[in-house]
Amino acid sequence: MAYSPYDWNENVRHRSEYIENILREGSPVIGVACAEGLLMVTLRRHQRKIFEIYDTLLYAGVGKQSDIETVRISAIDLAHQEGFVRSPNDVSAQRIVGFAISPAMKKAFSDPFSGPFVLRGLFAELGRDPQDDLFFTLNYDGEFAPYSRYAVVAGTQAAEDRMLRYLQPGESGDFPDVKTALERSLLAWSAGRRYSAFRSPEEEAELGGAETEEEQVRRFLAETNDLIVEAGLLERYTKRENKFRLLRDDETRPVLEAIADRKPALPAG
Amino acid sequence: MPPLDVSAPAPVSPASVVAPGDFLGLLEAAGMPLTRPPFAGDSSAIQDTHGTTVIAVKFRDGVINVGDRRATAGNYIMYDRAEKILPVNDHMLIGLSGSYARAIEVVKYLRTAFKYYQRSQLQELSLEGQLNEITRVMQQNVQMAMAGIGGFIPIVSAWDKNLKEGRIFFFDGMGARFETPEYAAAGSGSERIRGVFEYIVKTKRRFTDMPRDEALRDALALLEIAADLDSATGGSAKILPAVKVLTVDGIETVTEEEVQEANTAVAEAGFSPGSSETDLPEEPHGL
Repeated sequence: MAYSPYDWNENVRHRSEYIENILREGSPVIGVACAEGLLMVTLRRHQRKIFEIYDTLLYAGVGKQSDIETVRISAIDLAHQEGFVRSPNDVSAQRIVGFAISPAMKKAFSDPFSGPFVLRGLFAELGRDPQDDLFFTLNYDGEFAPYSRYAVVAGTQAAEDRMLRYLQPGESGDFPDVKTALERSLLAWSAGRRYSAFRSPEEEAELGGAETEEEQVRRFLAETNDLIVEAGLLERYTKRENKFRLLRDDETRPVLEAIADRKPALPAG
Repeated sequence: MPPLDVSAPAPVSPASVVAPGDFLGLLEAAGMPLTRPPFAGDSSAIQDTHGTTVIAVKFRDGVINVGDRRATAGNYIMYDRAEKILPVNDHMLIGLSGSYARAIEVVKYLRTAFKYYQRSQLQELSLEGQLNEITRVMQQNVQMAMAGIGGFIPIVSAWDKNLKEGRIFFFDGMGARFETPEYAAAGSGSERIRGVFEYIVKTKRRFTDMPRDEALRDALALLEIAADLDSATGGSAKILPAVKVLTVDGIETVTEEEVQEANTAVAEAGFSPGSSETDLPEEPHGL
């Protein structure tokens, strides 16, 4: 059987459609550089989604859990080998994502005889100061992009665009503290999760009713009682060997409750 | 950094061919084994730098680790600021004696291996698992040690989360592990002071009953005795010993001020042979 360039294009298109349809259902992930460290936030049902990769690296993903896990283990293996053989200072998100994982995902995506990764990943690297923190988003086709301050991955590009509006810094431009970063992240999650469900702006307008967008976002978040808030913090100034910890329920619950009680107000700027 | 092999069955890294969470196996699969081939040449041509005396004593709330700062190569003082009390994680300290190069590499390995296990398996390696891993790397080191270089003896202090107490373990060169109820010491000065530990426990009180300041003073006094009797062990006259404390709250590096204060208390309280001219005859005997 002959295999033509047309077949390759068709294959890529079909794969892309297949993956995008699955990703649409995924729970978004938000990464924010804050004064105390790096915060990653999502809401989940069962499986953990936010992971420590190395002393200064976090990772989370939207997609199939098996693919999230494959990339997680590979990143951990590579980071620890590099950290041991060279030094912890030589382990960076840019090297892990750009030189090791991205080429493999690109190859898997474009090879018609292997299964593609159904995954949109977010890597974060803790710097000495918040302005040094780095984020990398990694797409199923191997494309990756760096960001500073904050980054998101969600089911669709449009959902990600909506989410970013809630992560804008205030007028001072300062980096937020953990509590503020968590509040912004939860609102961004709600906006992204809600928007992923709409297929078109018309559908959103029809289902949104008379509420403003932010009212809908707050209500949507308040109605997600069946989900668990997962927030992982890589602490910047701790003296502990292990910088990573998941925020406790008594740290996340008051923020959720405050969001439900507060009147809508999008962050300035 | 090599790209991942996506043609391999998932997971796509070398970890797929080793036990989950096994960093030693991962290094071997990646062609970077921790174990070196036995040294075939004349090992006497190599002057291995050694760490000297390290001490661990229990106290009421945990374990105090004290180490002099000297590293020697034969009778040459290679370094007087060596750090021989090293944290492996937030709940374990290792005191190093013997081959400094090899011991530092092994501690680096253990730090990475325990974190690797925790991050990849999403649970902490148990204390028993951590101690077994130390035995494993020591056993891998036997051939080098037999060839005359690279031998080292650690003492390990660990906080046991289940028992809620500090524990001390020491090892022989083959990796055999022993737990001690009160104290442990390793290195060239340790044999000289072993009887003093026993004297303290039998005539004064158990280390486990002591408050922190008292245990610290005794540990520093023991180290000073080791320095008096062992030329390879540095005293505290020039450089203060390194002191770390392990408790339920984790690991604390004791400040120089606190060490100096305890050291001064030891010097003021004790009788120092030769400190008074009346202690010795006017003329040396035989002249």
